[in-house]
Amino acid sequence: MTRIVASLCLGLIGLVLLTLAQSSSLPVTDASIPAVIPDPATLHALQTRYRSLSKQLNHLMPSQPYIVVDTARNHLYIKRRDHVMLDALASTGSGTILDKPGEAKGQWVFDTPRGEFTVQSKLINPVWVKPDWAFVEEGLAIPKSYTDRIEPGVLGEYALGFGKGFFIHGTLYTRLLGKNVTHGCIRLNDDDLKSVYRLAKVGTPIMIF
Amino acid sequence: MPRPSVTGILICFFVLTAAHPTRAADADYPLSVDVTNPAALQEATRILAEELKLASRPQAYVIVDLIDRVVVIKGRGVELHRFSIEDWSAGQLADASTTFRLQTRPPVTRRKIEPAAGGEQPPISLDDMPTDFTLQFSPTFSLTVHPSASDDIGRWLRFKGREWWIWLKEWAMTLATGRGPLPQAWLHLTVTSDHAQSLAWTVTEGMAFLVRRPPPSP
Repeated sequence: MTRIVASLCLGLIGLVLLTLAQSSSLPVTDASIPAVIPDPATLHALQTRYRSLSKQLNHLMPSQPYIVVDTARNHLYIKRRDHVMLDALASTGSGTILDKPGEAKGQWVFDTPRGEFTVQSKLINPVWVKPDWAFVEEGLAIPKSYTDRIEPGVLGEYALGFGKGFFIHGTLYTRLLGKNVTHGCIRLNDDDLKSVYRLAKVGTPIMIF
Repeated sequence: MPRPSVTGILICFFVLTAAHPTRAADADYPLSVDVTNPAALQEATRILAEELKLASRPQAYVIVDLIDRVVVIKGRGVELHRFSIEDWSAGQLADASTTFRLQTRPPVTRRKIEPAAGGEQPPISLDDMPTDFTLQFSPTFSLTVHPSASDDIGRWLRFKGREWWIWLKEWAMTLATGRGPLPQAWLHLTVTSDHAQSLAWTVTEGMAFLVRRPPPSP
């Protein structure tokens, strides 16, 4: 018992010492960046350069509506500059993994890809061409015939492709909106999907984080 | 020579005042910056020049703004998400004047789907992400994120205990070999547990980070 108390005391003393040691050396705001001698000409040049860079950055921002997908909170936004045109509850990738049959180390990882993409295709009444993982997940054999992969009526009325087989599409499982449950695609309810289809064009940027 | 009118003088005064703001954050000055402070302006200009390079490519990047105490996730110059920093401490920040690339994202345990098992595997979510972690960058820079004591005393104690252990090991190593660890730029951020998990979720390998450093005190 005495040993435990002594160990706890030592631990606490160590913690206090560490905190004090850090406090004495931190924060280092005064030594963060080198001091600059104020000079009106330098200041004016800096102000001019700053304004010029700001304008250049402003020009890089999309001038047309763009799509933002927040995979952590499962929301899809359509924005124009800073104005939010649509805030939709979505479902994004589950992050789960599935072993590829017959491959020692092969796996599917069901993440929604992150980064910047563009709308590459806009489809009306899309049909789902079930990929291999959909059969493996259900414990079924992978069909040889293409027609055996086709499943209509599960993706909603519209689908917007953004590359590598990923789509923004509808869902039958609207109760799961707001959760990470998909195999990488982005699901929306019917009304929001219709708005996205109407507002987005082929080439519209999609920023996913 | 005509005398200038009072109205004219007033107009000139307002135009000149508007043209020289002391602290600004608008279209011309997107960061909150004291435009009469050359050091602050130089740092803001450096950040903007680096951001311009990052925003010209299709990628998301992170700006850790120690002046406004905020972490901003951006892409193409557009703000995607932001959260506030409760507190911070740092060392060797003078070396942190470049774009840092994240080496590895914080680990997360992914659940495996058992084919035809019937019940769906629970997905990973923000709750699965760590609340305290250290990110290593190239060039050498480390960013440690942890929750505050008031936010989660248990996790804070665990974090401090681990920090103490590392410090003790380094001290023992210095004592034994006579050589301490190489000095490198580091930054500790205290944020809420939710924000720590959000950052852990968002970051990806190779993601660019910029650190906006505070100017020296006058």
